[in-house]
Amino acid sequence: MARLSHQKCTPDFHDKYGNAVLAGRTTFCIAVWTYVATQIGIEWTLSPVGRVIPKEWRD
Amino acid sequence: MLSRAAWSLMLRKGGRGRREMHSPEAPARGEGKMPPYANWYAQRSYPMPEEPFCTELSAEQQALKEKEKGSWTQLSHAEKVALYRLQYHQTFAEMNRRSNEWKTVMGCVFFFCGFTALLIWWQRVYVYPPKPITLTDEWKAQQLQRMLDMKVNPVHGLASHWDYEKKEWKK
Repeated sequence: MARLSHQKCTPDFHDKYGNAVLAGRTTFCIAVWTYVATQIGIEWTLSPVGRVIPKEWRD
Repeated sequence: MLSRAAWSLMLRKGGRGRREMHSPEAPARGEGKMPPYANWYAQRSYPMPEEPFCTELSAEQQALKEKEKGSWTQLSHAEKVALYRLQYHQTFAEMNRRSNEWKTVMGCVFFFCGFTALLIWWQRVYVYPPKPITLTDEWKAQQLQRMLDMKVNPVHGLASHWDYEKKEWKK
């Protein structure tokens, strides 16, 4: 069991930066996708059911 | 880039392990193979490597190897451990340990997914044509009213979700 501590003595790249890399880049991905999906005018052609209020068309 | 320098450093360190004093290849041989292609590399599915980990032995280590040829009951615990470390690079516990590599991998996956969103953003701004009139909110609302007036798909479809008495969507 003394050997198990051996890896902890010299942490590798993933031990040092793994959490930061994962958290930061996940945040980046979610943030930029949320912005792109909602704010820049991409038409997703979602169903009008429950979303669109119909408007009179016969003028 | 910082991560690339750290990545190559990690790869090089992983090859030698932390046992620099027991290095199996002579330092002069700079073109020695790295694991998993080295002859001393073992893993759980390949536990008996072709060659021992340490091939250049100091005089003390050679004396230990001579002692190993006798009865093993005369070896102390520390000597047995030293012999193991000469023969094998890592114990099974060491070679099978978990790592945090998945965090870096998934981080890179998400980074490139996010980068894709930037590409789509650029595409929306510089490539897409102007939105047709039929996709404006006003037109869609009027189109919806016309479809409801025609009772489009009244059994299971669009008109079936609209409450014509209350003039609202069914809950």
